[in-house]
Amino acid sequence: MDGEPDRLGILEALLFVAEEPLPLGKLQEILEDADALQTEASLRDLALRLEGEGRGLMVQEVAGGFRLATRPETHAFVQKLQQVKPARLSRAALETLAIIAYRQPITRSEIEAIRGVAVDGVMRTLLERELIRMMGRKAEAGRPMLYGTSTQFLEHFGMKDLGDLPTLREINELIRAPEEEAAGAVGPEQSDEGPADAPEPAREAGRTTEAEPDEPPASSHN
Amino acid sequence: MSFQIKLDMFEGPLDLLLHLIREHQVDILDIPIASITEAYLRSLAVMQELDLDVAGEYLLMAATLIHIKSKMLLPPEESAEGEAGEEEDPRAELVSRLLEYKKFKEAAQTLGLLESEAQLLHRRGAPAIDLEVEGPLQVTMVELLRAFRDILTRAETAAPLEITPEELNVGQRIVMLVDRLALESPLEFGRLFSDSPRRVEIIVTFLALLELLRRGLASARQVEALAPIMIYRTLEHEESTGSPEDSPARGESVGAAGMPEASPA
Repeated sequence: MDGEPDRLGILEALLFVAEEPLPLGKLQEILEDADALQTEASLRDLALRLEGEGRGLMVQEVAGGFRLATRPETHAFVQKLQQVKPARLSRAALETLAIIAYRQPITRSEIEAIRGVAVDGVMRTLLERELIRMMGRKAEAGRPMLYGTSTQFLEHFGMKDLGDLPTLREINELIRAPEEEAAGAVGPEQSDEGPADAPEPAREAGRTTEAEPDEPPASSHN
Repeated sequence: MSFQIKLDMFEGPLDLLLHLIREHQVDILDIPIASITEAYLRSLAVMQELDLDVAGEYLLMAATLIHIKSKMLLPPEESAEGEAGEEEDPRAELVSRLLEYKKFKEAAQTLGLLESEAQLLHRRGAPAIDLEVEGPLQVTMVELLRAFRDILTRAETAAPLEITPEELNVGQRIVMLVDRLALESPLEFGRLFSDSPRRVEIIVTFLALLELLRRGLASARQVEALAPIMIYRTLEHEESTGSPEDSPARGESVGAAGMPEASPA
C-alpha cells in the first residue's frame, strides 16, 4: 500500500498492536472519520479480506471487542513455536465457573451448595487466573463476598459477552436425559471412544444404521 | 459383571450419585433408594480405607441417603411431626439437588468444549507462558488420590509379598520428604514412591505428603488435567510467583484475606 493507508489497513494495524480486544467505540474514536456502523462494516471487510487472501490471521470478536488472532488451522504450527501447551481448566474449575457464570453474583457457600463439595481451592485458582472477580458483598449475615466472571473469562472461552453462554438445559429436558444416556451406553454404536461423557441434546435417537460401518457417527473432533 | 469404582473420576457426592443412577439405569425422579444407597456405600468403602478428609462430604451424603431410606420405611402418619397435609416424598430435596447439579455439570462440559476451541486461536503476547512452567493448576485432592491409586495398584501387582514391616511412621517420613524436596524441588509425584515398593510404605509416604500439603510446606501442581503432578517445595514456589496467599489457612475465605470491604473496581 503506497501513500495513504486505507481504513482496513489502519484497523489491521490497530488490532495488531493492541494487547486487549479493542471495543468498537475505541476503534471508531481513533478512525475519526467513520461512524460505528461504518467501522463495523470495515472490520467485516478486513475479516473477509484476510480470509480471502488465505492469511494466517483473522479478526476475532471477543470479550466486548475485536482483536487479531491466528487462524485455528495454523494451531499445530504455532504450538510448535510456543512449545508449551495452554493449560486446560480442571473439571472442578469448569463446574465452578459454570455455576458462577450463570448465577452471578453468587457467594462461595451458594456454589458449594450446588456442587456438594468445598470450593476454596478452586476459587483461589480461578481468582489467581483472573477468570472470576469479586463483585462486592451480599447484604446478609456475615456479608459474604459475591463473585462473578471477568473479561478474562470471556476471552478464555472465546465469547463476545455473557449472551454467548450456551443456554442451560432446563429441568424437564434433564429429566428425559438419563434414559437417553442409558440407552446410549448400552447401544451397539459405542465402539468408538469419543467423548461419550458429553450428552448431545441434538443427537437423534434411534438412528442406528447397520449398513455403513465405515461412517463414524458425526461427533465434534477435538 | 464386575463393578468397577473409580472414585477419582467424581467431582463429589452428587457426581458419584449421578453416575450410579445412570449406571443402574434408574429414573432420577424415582430413585430406588435402597439399592442406590448400597451401591453408594460400596463406592465409599474404597475411600474410607484411607481415612481422608475428602471423604467428609461423601460421608455426609451417605448419612443423607440412609436417612431418606429410613424415612421411606416409616408409615406416612408417623413421619409427619404433627403436620398434616400431603406427604412430601423424602427424596424430593435430593432429586432437586441432583438435577440442579446435573445442569451445571453439563454446562461445564460445554464450557470445556468452548475452551478447547478458543485455545486453537493464538494472539500476540499471550501472557500465559510463564505460568505454564510452574504448573498453574493446583492439584485437587481427587486428582492426587487418582495418582495415588495408580501407584498403589502398580505396587500390588509388582510386589505381592509383604515382609514383616519395621517401624514406619509418618513423622519420620515427613522429615525425609522435606529433605528430598530440598534437594530436588519440582519432584514428579510418582518418583516419591520409586524406592518404596511396598503398600504400607507407599501409604505412609502419601500420608506424609498430605501433611506437608496441608501445612503449606509443599504444593502439588500440574500443567493441565491428567498431566504429571509435580510436587514443589513451597518456599521456592512463593519466591518465584510472589504470591503470599499460597499457604491456605483452613476455613479462611479468599475474599476476606485481600480486600476488606473493598468495593469492586
